[in-house]
Amino acid sequence: MRSHPLFLVYGVAILALTGFAQYRGFTFSRVNQLNNVPKSIRDNPGAYRSHYGFYPRYIGGK
Amino acid sequence: MSSTAVSPPVVKAKALYCPQCGGPVELRGFAHTLSVVCPQCGSVLDTSGPLVHILQKAQEQQRIEPGIPLGTRGKLDGGEFEVIGFQIRTITVDGVPYSWAEYLLFNPYRGFAYLSEYQGHWNFIRVLPLLPSQSGKLVRVEGRGYMLFQRAVATTTYVLGEFPWKAKVGDTAEVNDYVSPPLVVSAEKTDQEVVWSRGDYRTGAEIWKAFNLPGRPPAAIGVYENQPSPYGGELGSLWRTYIWLMVALAALMFWFTVSAGYKAAFQDHYVFSPGAKIEPSFVTPVFDLNGHTSAVRVDIHTDLDNSWAYFNLALINNTDGHAYDFGKEVSYYHGVEDGESWSEGSKKASATVPAVPAGRYYLRIEPELNEKQTSDMSYDVEVHRGVPSYGLFVLAGLLLLIPPIIGTIRRASFEAARWRESDYGGSGA
Repeated sequence: MRSHPLFLVYGVAILALTGFAQYRGFTFSRVNQLNNVPKSIRDNPGAYRSHYGFYPRYIGGK
Repeated sequence: MSSTAVSPPVVKAKALYCPQCGGPVELRGFAHTLSVVCPQCGSVLDTSGPLVHILQKAQEQQRIEPGIPLGTRGKLDGGEFEVIGFQIRTITVDGVPYSWAEYLLFNPYRGFAYLSEYQGHWNFIRVLPLLPSQSGKLVRVEGRGYMLFQRAVATTTYVLGEFPWKAKVGDTAEVNDYVSPPLVVSAEKTDQEVVWSRGDYRTGAEIWKAFNLPGRPPAAIGVYENQPSPYGGELGSLWRTYIWLMVALAALMFWFTVSAGYKAAFQDHYVFSPGAKIEPSFVTPVFDLNGHTSAVRVDIHTDLDNSWAYFNLALINNTDGHAYDFGKEVSYYHGVEDGESWSEGSKKASATVPAVPAGRYYLRIEPELNEKQTSDMSYDVEVHRGVPSYGLFVLAGLLLLIPPIIGTIRRASFEAARWRESDYGGSGA
């Protein structure tokens, strides 16, 4: 049961990268990041303007 | 087959004179030689009897020098063989002639063997001591199956040296080749007999080394009928390695799934009233996200029924004001149409926020609801920390699949190139 040495190195690198990405919480999800959201948002949530306006919304049904 | 190398004794060759030109002719195959070509005039001489007869007068073609000179000795298959004969044989396929060279080798203890060469591809050939079993396009020799590759009539177009049969230009034989790389089994049919032989593929470098020839062998062109695939053994090890890596990937996925745990960092229940004339957005209490930087998943479970809702969400760090802004739609529809029930969508949905550092956070939630819906929507929100991204595992699995897929394609291409030269297609084995 001989393994392929080059593929083994490649595969272990893929597994290591996958493990690292999982540990650090990388995903394919898209989110916008904003800095310095004022604390006043907690008292007035309506003052916050979402920056996620381009997200496609489903409005249908069969 | 013995593995002991036995060098033939240095025996003085028997000499005779060519009745055509009077030139001296040496015989290296002793009493086995039934014909020999005069090296001076090219006449083929019959040496089967006490008197030498001319079997064929001088060949008209231009003299051809074999790549391995007559008289050269080399070690093959554990024995030392001397090149005593050389012939060129030609087949014609669709009007195109294809020629290959055959060297007759002799060892007093091991008998005769052959070396064939076509476009830099070599075969070491021995006559089979047993008759293969034959079934359609398949023959079996010692339990190994060989597929029919080629059937053609070969004509001897040039001879040089000596042979244990009365070889001459114009001799014909029907040649059937059956392949099982790196071996080939050939049946040569003449009016008198059928001779089965088995060839073992050799590279030019192996032949040059065996005969200690100067220079470099001619480069091999194309894929030969019994040339072993360079990807054959590699492919097996590629797929074996792939299986082991997939097992490791599955273990990694299991470990991250189990270590993520199921305890929510935050959870609460809410009700959205579409008729209420109040600001729909609100914030949750502050909660802790502990540990190292990792992904955060927000789960929303609703009681939607033939409706949709959209949630504008922001995960905001209560300390530094850093916000992750995202959204999630939930929709669930069902019904009966033409007597068949159907449903689409789901009452629940999840959104994942990548690489969130530890800290104290809160969620800002702003629900929107289908304007046709007048009833309240109740929903639960859960926040989970350290969740694995299964998309990354899928990506890793696909990346791991690339080398064995490439290996499989390369091997298939090699086999396709082999069988393109065949009239019988083959199984690609």
